[in-house]
Amino acid sequence: MRDIIIRNGTIVDGTGMLAFRGDVGIDGGRLVRVGGKLAGEARREIDATGRVVAPGFIDPHTHFDAQLLFDAQAKPALEHGVTTVVHGNCSLSLAPLRAGDRGKLVRMFQQIEEMPDAAFDGAFEWTWEGFGEYVDALRGRVALNVAPLAGHSPLRLWAMGEDAAMRAATADEIATMQNLLRECLEAGAVGLSTSFVDMDENLAPVPCRHAHHAELDALSAVLGEYGRMLQVVPEFYNTDVTIARVDQLALLSLAHGIPTTFSPLFDSAAVPDNVPRVLDRVAEHFARGARVWPQVQTRPIDISFSFEVASLYFIQLPMWYLILRMPRDQRVGLLANEGTRKGLVDAAEPGGDTSRFAGLRVRDSRDPKRVGKTLGEIAEERGTTPAAAMIDLSLEEDLGIHFLAERMGHEDPSRIGPVLANDLVHIGASDGGAHIQSFATYGDTGYLFSEFVRKGRYLSLEQAVRKITRDTAQIWGLPDRGELRPGMAADVVVFDADAIARGDEVPAHDMPGEGMRYVRGSSGVECVIVNGEVCWSGKDGYTDARPGIVIHA
Amino acid sequence: MSEPVIVDALVAPGHDGEAVLVVRVEHENGVVDSVTLDGRAAARLLAECRAETTEALRGHPWRRLLSVLEDPTREPSRENG
Repeated sequence: MRDIIIRNGTIVDGTGMLAFRGDVGIDGGRLVRVGGKLAGEARREIDATGRVVAPGFIDPHTHFDAQLLFDAQAKPALEHGVTTVVHGNCSLSLAPLRAGDRGKLVRMFQQIEEMPDAAFDGAFEWTWEGFGEYVDALRGRVALNVAPLAGHSPLRLWAMGEDAAMRAATADEIATMQNLLRECLEAGAVGLSTSFVDMDENLAPVPCRHAHHAELDALSAVLGEYGRMLQVVPEFYNTDVTIARVDQLALLSLAHGIPTTFSPLFDSAAVPDNVPRVLDRVAEHFARGARVWPQVQTRPIDISFSFEVASLYFIQLPMWYLILRMPRDQRVGLLANEGTRKGLVDAAEPGGDTSRFAGLRVRDSRDPKRVGKTLGEIAEERGTTPAAAMIDLSLEEDLGIHFLAERMGHEDPSRIGPVLANDLVHIGASDGGAHIQSFATYGDTGYLFSEFVRKGRYLSLEQAVRKITRDTAQIWGLPDRGELRPGMAADVVVFDADAIARGDEVPAHDMPGEGMRYVRGSSGVECVIVNGEVCWSGKDGYTDARPGIVIHA
Repeated sequence: MSEPVIVDALVAPGHDGEAVLVVRVEHENGVVDSVTLDGRAAARLLAECRAETTEALRGHPWRRLLSVLEDPTREPSRENG
């Protein structure tokens, strides 16, 4: 008797090959049969009639480092079909880290992840200093597979102490970091992450940003001994500098025979030539034999704001922007003044045209009934206009209500679709587990299928699956993953190709200490299997299984 | 002698969901490049140029932009990746 048989599914095996009908058999955590009709019974049978059976999705850019220690399922990533996550991106990992440096690193993490203090203080036990001990803390306790990166910033903290955030390293310190990186790679790190952009809680550069090229070159030489990945955050807000970083990564890739990847790379109407120019350079370097994988996200980028801080969203409305930049008391007083309020409304809605703000949504409010509604809907309920409703709601909630302008960038499918389909583009950059109080970083895989396969038809179903399974496994050198083939690890997702999508973004208070974050549920995903064990199903939700492993590249 | 000037400025979403201002500068040789500013830096640029709108930034020399970018007291116009 087999452990699991998934019967009569449409098998999309991750290689890009056309889908075919058949059964999938799983035994001892491994795929034992893919295709054909399987005789006999199984301890668990899954009817996949009319459903796609695919390899589990791999998310190459996450920040689940802390979350995995108190939430073994990295919710809600698993329910979207993600069975493997790469974490420790952007120079920040929780190891190697001396006990005395924990406070420093935690504050850097909080700057990026926006996790509450309680997530680092009491939600898990710090049992490690070295990378191997950290890996031991994850082993046997996680539901999905993890592929940790070693962060360049903690390497510097270990080797240089407080000077890590002040200066370039000496030759001895670089040698110390090299040895430390070797230990990380031996213990299971899939590569090294660094950043040219990230900041600490004081808005000062994180330690890795003080490294000179020679230091990165020396660390890349160690990566070359193992053939492992260098992950980088370039100065993505400037195309020319990003291209210079692409050149630098190509140099390191060729010199040391390593794969490199960088993110984010995204499109906006303000800089329409950004993605084309960067991809042209990437293609040149691939043609020379370098591996410089740009990670491109699927989801559009929204702008969120409240009246607590003056957002550039209002810059085209001088009166609004002027008032929102005033000291808080003065700001509130003017917003509450009837004459000023009328002037603001007239400026935003000239001639009674309410279209400017009508589509904005309430994203966070004291009143849960308001969340998700548009200002147009709320204005209608109140018998007022969207601009007036926005002012009134802000005053009623002491400026605490947040609004969302959706799809403000990376939003044009006719531009993004072909980029995602490009063979040199690595679909990723979800940032899962980061920016948790700003927006939801989950469901990018569902969005890939709903927007770019079903709706826009920029990728075939088989191509989309391949891009987030086998391609990802190959780019990162993750053995045993990314394909449905007998002998491979049984990471499997069963989904409805006509329904898979991301859910609405909603606030949740499920972080330690009742910390708030934004999440998205999934739709169309029916069953998620990790190493042969069902970890989530649409019918039963999350299970108690903890079959995830630490993947050694 | 001519010098680079601001040709336009557009609001765009940053990676972290904050609005940013992309300021495009045309150099003497016709090349146009862009610089991305966060909210504080953009506000300082408007003040520096005595502009109330982004349209009013047009034609200002890039020296104004440089003075904003080189101000050691400014918040970095960068975002976390």
